[in-house]
Amino acid sequence: MSKPLAASKKVMKNYLSELLTDEPLMQERSKHELTDRENSKSVEDKRLETLLKNVNAELKVKENDVTTHKSVSEKIDSKKIIVNDIIEENKFEPLVTHKSTGSLIPKKSKPYRQGDFQALFFNVGGLTVAVPLIELGGIHKIEKTTTLMGKPDWFKGVMLYRDEKINVVDTALWVMPEKCDEKMKSSLNYQYVIMLSDSAWGLTAENLVDTVVLKQDEVKWLDTPSKRPWLAGLVKDKMCALLDVDALIQLLNDGSGIHQDD
Amino acid sequence: MSDERRNSSDKTGENDEVLQWVTFKLENEVYGINVMQVQEVLRYSEIAPVPGAPLYVLGIINLRGNVVTVIDTRSRFGLEPCDVTDNTRVVVIESEKQVIGILVDSVAEVVYLKASEIDDAPNVGNDESAQFIQGVSNREGELLILVDLDKLLSDDEWDELKQF
Repeated sequence: MSKPLAASKKVMKNYLSELLTDEPLMQERSKHELTDRENSKSVEDKRLETLLKNVNAELKVKENDVTTHKSVSEKIDSKKIIVNDIIEENKFEPLVTHKSTGSLIPKKSKPYRQGDFQALFFNVGGLTVAVPLIELGGIHKIEKTTTLMGKPDWFKGVMLYRDEKINVVDTALWVMPEKCDEKMKSSLNYQYVIMLSDSAWGLTAENLVDTVVLKQDEVKWLDTPSKRPWLAGLVKDKMCALLDVDALIQLLNDGSGIHQDD
Repeated sequence: MSDERRNSSDKTGENDEVLQWVTFKLENEVYGINVMQVQEVLRYSEIAPVPGAPLYVLGIINLRGNVVTVIDTRSRFGLEPCDVTDNTRVVVIESEKQVIGILVDSVAEVVYLKASEIDDAPNVGNDESAQFIQGVSNREGELLILVDLDKLLSDDEWDELKQF
């Protein structure tokens, strides 16, 4: 394996292992952070108190000089208070943004979420990816793809298979666009197109690794809606991503890249 | 697109109308344009550059006393420029009531396609050039990309061309 490929694999492994890290560890770390923050806060409070004392002392000395200014500022303060009250009254309206609702696709219950299930593992750019076999539409040998102008980089083109037109996705460019430099692109040797369910979308693959029967506890499931709807979970043993095919199809239909704003 | 052409490409019509398309090559892909818009196909002749012309204009040619503006189709389609060969052609077309030339790598043939044989291109990508594609068709195991010439240039660019 070439150095950049090995490096990218290592980076992905670290990333995935971070995702796999148990929550208690994270909580402990956040506890430490909280106590540190509390300590620094008390130091900050003491500093503010002394600063206030100094300021008050200075104000007492100059009190007579600033009477007119003070009365004016008091008036302004009272106005400010009224304005603040009005703002607070309006605060009760729930704040809903498009971002908070738009990017999170609710996860549907999957047939492979009960009992053992089979998954196909394949390689692309040194990265192993898994797809539940039940959501696999088929595997074809890659043939000539016709490039269409104006499409995103990850859209490799249209491949004709019998009478079907398959929309071929450059998997490496979709999954890890930031790591796909010219060198990596030229080293990619796609051999297969893995069809996603009964859609017209197919993912390119360099090698097919294996099909493995997975138990439910062998996967760290990501059931809550997240910013990575295409990720059903992480296969603990192989440290690789298990794709949520339906969510991935939805993203591809929307023309979204992995970051959903591409 | 004119009503006549829009109607002729209507798949829901009673008759599955047969349309003729002139096919040409750019890079390794085959494109098709409606034969009704093609006036003639010329061998490559010297294209005179026009100072201050927009980037998509290669220059002008003299066609029997008429000045015809030639569009750089490769740059329009987001392709790298390439050298002129014996197969290079200028396809003179009429679009948006203007006559222009488009430079292509080669012209292949005229093909007949039923309206039902034309599919929509995948609706992915917001790039300007994505809208040039009118549809795609599987022809003898090769994908033919059908180009909507009216959308090759924006309204402003068509207006700009009138001044040539």
